[in-house]
Amino acid sequence: MPAFYDLSGRPIETGFAGAERKEKKNPDHGGNSLMERSSRRTVADPWFLIPIALVSFTALAYPIYVIRPFRHQGPRELAAALEVIQIRPPIELVCAICALLGLFWYWRVQPLDSRRRLAAAGAFLVCTFAVLSRVNIFEMMFHPDTHPLFVPIEQAKVDPDDMVMAVKLGGMAHAYPIRSMGYHHIINDVVGQEPIVATY
Amino acid sequence: MWTRESGGLVLTFHLAGINNQNFLMRDDQTGSYWQQITGEAVSGPLRGRRLTLVASDELSFGLWAAEEPGGTVLKSVPKYASDYEKKDWEVRMKKARTVLSFADPARGLEPRTLLLGVQAFGASRAFPYDAVIQEKLVLDRVGADPVLLVVGPDGESVRVYRDRIPGISGHPAFYRTLDDKQSHPHDPAWLKQAVAAPLLMDEATGSEWNFQGCAVSGKETGLCLEPIEAIKDYWFDWRNYNPKTTVYIRRP
Repeated sequence: MPAFYDLSGRPIETGFAGAERKEKKNPDHGGNSLMERSSRRTVADPWFLIPIALVSFTALAYPIYVIRPFRHQGPRELAAALEVIQIRPPIELVCAICALLGLFWYWRVQPLDSRRRLAAAGAFLVCTFAVLSRVNIFEMMFHPDTHPLFVPIEQAKVDPDDMVMAVKLGGMAHAYPIRSMGYHHIINDVVGQEPIVATY
Repeated sequence: MWTRESGGLVLTFHLAGINNQNFLMRDDQTGSYWQQITGEAVSGPLRGRRLTLVASDELSFGLWAAEEPGGTVLKSVPKYASDYEKKDWEVRMKKARTVLSFADPARGLEPRTLLLGVQAFGASRAFPYDAVIQEKLVLDRVGADPVLLVVGPDGESVRVYRDRIPGISGHPAFYRTLDDKQSHPHDPAWLKQAVAAPLLMDEATGSEWNFQGCAVSGKETGLCLEPIEAIKDYWFDWRNYNPKTTVYIRRP
């Protein structure tokens, strides 16, 4: 039974019961945690990841698009693609860092699991682009011979009519069978103390 | 074939791209990109630099082994050996698509016509490989300078020399003395004696010359002709990088 009444005769509630009822009528009043306040606000979708992903994807994809086999490369587009390759590492790094920092912030402010997962997927995609940009597709197609070994003629499994590239420097003679050079394309070698690169 | 030194750095190259079917290399040390056929850096910190060409030949293994019995051969990598080119790769490659053409039917040039390209004396000239092989000896000019293209005793390997003998004015005519019909191009024993034996004679001095371009008998014994670098290439690629090239037409 309330002990006090206002001038119009309505009871004035006091004590814990009064405070609890006031809390229910006015939920903002007396709310303490950031999460509680945040859960009551609408947090936008992680649109900020889109421009980051676009930049990261473009830096990855443009050179791949231009520099691909059986496609004509114009001089200007090739020059542009090579320039992108030169500046790509810091671009991809910055994009990945921004995506991860953005995800960290977004995860804290966004209570909805579905939105958090969306942001995580976006950040993962950006990081994937950054990793892929370090992959040398050409050496995946044509594996390099990074430690070339040379054998005497009698041990070489080469037919007499097979063609070889031949070099002689400082009294040392090396032969590179065309059939294997057509796969590896490049051999970094030292012949007669001269560092050379055989290419085919 | 190129040296790997540039500006005090020893570079290590990787296959890194393609430019109209001629590949691009990237060096580990600076990340610069280099065009394979020209040896020029086209992108990166070393852009504009050129590698130095290293004299090399493309020979049949049998002939090379006869010339260099102490030489060593690149060993195949077992796990990739099944991916290496097959015996008929040149036949199959002739049918492969090109992104550039420069076809010239009037001169019998298709995009994948195989030729020997010579860049020397400020000029470029293309010698269709089949024509050279059939003629066995081609006396011609690159720019204003006379050259001779010599087919080896194996019937497949070709070397190019400057047609000048020191002390002899003008450019002497050469003719082939090797009877190719009697050759055994894939017999190691025959090749061993054939590489040292003469296959040319010059009309000016009557000296005999072997496939290494050195006189083995006559007045000029011990003297060697100046070798000229030639590359075996497809017409579309050669023409793309040598737009002003001239072309040798086989005499009827």
